[in-house]
Amino acid sequence: MTQIQTDASRNGQVGSEPMIIAENVEKWYDNNFHVLRGVSLTVQKGEVVVVMGPSGSGKSTFIRTFNALESYQKGRILIDGIHLSTDLKNIDTIRREVGMVFQQFNLFPHLTVQQNVMLAPIWVRRWTKARAEEKALQLLERVGILEQAKKFPGQLSGGQQQRVAIARALAMEPRIMLFDEPTSALDPEMVREVLDVMRTLASSGMTMVCVTHEVGFAREVADRVVLMADGLLIEEATPEEFFNNPKEERSQKFLSQIL
Amino acid sequence: MTTTSPPSFSTRPDVAQIGAIAWVRKHLFSGWFNSLVTVVLGSLLIRSIVGFIGWATTTAQWKVIPENLPLYFVGQFPPDQYWRIWALLWMISALSGLTWGNLSQNVPHLFSRTVLIWVGILAVIFVLAPTPLPYRLLLLATLGLVLGGAWAGRYLSQSLPSFGLGLAIAWGLSFFIMLWLMAGGFGLKPVSTTAWGGLLLTLFMSVVSIVLCFPLGVALALGRQSTLPVVRLLSTVYIEVVRGVPLIALLFIGAVMLPFFLPGNVRLDLVLRAIFGLTLFSAAYLAENVRGGLQSIPRGQAEASSALGLNTPLTLGLIVLPQALKVAIPSIVGQFISLVQDTTLVSIIGLSDLMRISRAVLANPLYIGRYAEVYLFIGVIFWVLCYAMSWGSRQLEARLKTTN
Repeated sequence: MTQIQTDASRNGQVGSEPMIIAENVEKWYDNNFHVLRGVSLTVQKGEVVVVMGPSGSGKSTFIRTFNALESYQKGRILIDGIHLSTDLKNIDTIRREVGMVFQQFNLFPHLTVQQNVMLAPIWVRRWTKARAEEKALQLLERVGILEQAKKFPGQLSGGQQQRVAIARALAMEPRIMLFDEPTSALDPEMVREVLDVMRTLASSGMTMVCVTHEVGFAREVADRVVLMADGLLIEEATPEEFFNNPKEERSQKFLSQIL
Repeated sequence: MTTTSPPSFSTRPDVAQIGAIAWVRKHLFSGWFNSLVTVVLGSLLIRSIVGFIGWATTTAQWKVIPENLPLYFVGQFPPDQYWRIWALLWMISALSGLTWGNLSQNVPHLFSRTVLIWVGILAVIFVLAPTPLPYRLLLLATLGLVLGGAWAGRYLSQSLPSFGLGLAIAWGLSFFIMLWLMAGGFGLKPVSTTAWGGLLLTLFMSVVSIVLCFPLGVALALGRQSTLPVVRLLSTVYIEVVRGVPLIALLFIGAVMLPFFLPGNVRLDLVLRAIFGLTLFSAAYLAENVRGGLQSIPRGQAEASSALGLNTPLTLGLIVLPQALKVAIPSIVGQFISLVQDTTLVSIIGLSDLMRISRAVLANPLYIGRYAEVYLFIGVIFWVLCYAMSWGSRQLEARLKTTN
């Protein structure tokens, strides 16, 4: 099996090179709802951060600001040293380096699985078709979907679709991967196949930020767990501390509801 | 418990449950009211059919059709130049055949049983057509071109990877060849557009208006969705104004008022002015159909595309529009069908389309009072045209289906 290309291999080798720096990020929705009320977070290279929190806490909105799917009004975000502002050129550069996996997969239904994966490398990275195809087949093999390459997304199960979505994001060879509740829309028996792919990805040294409710995954894979509530970052701790010994009352209440 | 003999199961279904009689009983005679409705409507239907057949075989005088066939089909086009129309028809037939073959390259049997039946029916119609023998042979040749083209198109698509692109270019070029054949010049005897008429003119205006209104409609739909306020406002105003004006008014504006807006030395052809009106009119309706398609595409599609680094034009062109247009195929084709039918209105501004030709024929003292025959005939022509479009759209939808 081919390795996902990364410079650092994992396990204790989390660098001290910050890939994401968010400082006091504030955001209001158009209806003046104050969804992010000053959130700060730094993610080091190769680190896996799991963001948890009740629905409506702003956690999805927060990670969606990292690739400018959501704008923010106050504060500062640096992705791999590039300032994420309204400058369209910076946004384009950052989106090329940041892959994202969505709750609803969002595969392109009019393209085959393989075309889904090849699209961005060809049109954005300007790869040749042959190179993009080689990469696509390699990634599809990694996520275990190679034999479905010529099918359309609508002919695949939810878990298979989400694995294709991961392959599609990886095809751009991103330096950071964002996961926005990647298993929430899946039937229970399909959650594992997706988490397995994410686990492999984490152990290859990818910098990952995951919004998820999967406690098992967080315990096992995360370097840090972050709890958000009401647009604020409540607690930031190692999984061990967070699940066994949460400091904040809000965290204890949240854990008592999900465990 | 008492033992009872098991009920005997017959392997044959009960006659009362299936078959024609059961179907009739279930769907037509379930209850006294439904039976009454069936009897009343059924007798009305049978009476009309019998009446129609009686009229068609005794009272009707069909000679008004064959005696004027060239008029219906090409209007006043000079008879010594008819070969140009045949050349045009063959070009289109060959291209259609090739395209059919190209679209069917992955289908196991190119000529399915349904297709063969239709080909047979058409061949019989062409052989029995009430025209001189040479024309019947030419019609059969046209059919042969379509079928041969389909076979060749399928073969070429499988062996030449860029065949589809070549086909698209050929369709683009065919438009200019069509103009050349119809209008003349460049070595051909010029034919004034006032000599264009009948089905030829109807089809020409329909095709050109469809080709022109499609990009305009898509642009307007995107404009109406735009985040730029000026673009959005202009598109919205255009769409709402045009949709609020009857087509007749637009055609008169094109025919009568447009010359006032243009510099004195520019004289736009009347056909061109009619196409202008039809295009502007249809584009507004088309824009709303496309907008419906655009709105049916989940936001997540554009988000996923942006997240991959595709910019807005690429996201629109590669992700959103292909899906939106696919969703909108039925309503877009519906709009095209309306457009074909709306071309009959150009007779009011003095163009000799199929409708006006029919009235000219009816004005001939030889054919006084033959309304029913003539209008039935052009009705059938329009029905064939429109049904073909609707059939084509269903084929296209089936071809583009990507779910189980």
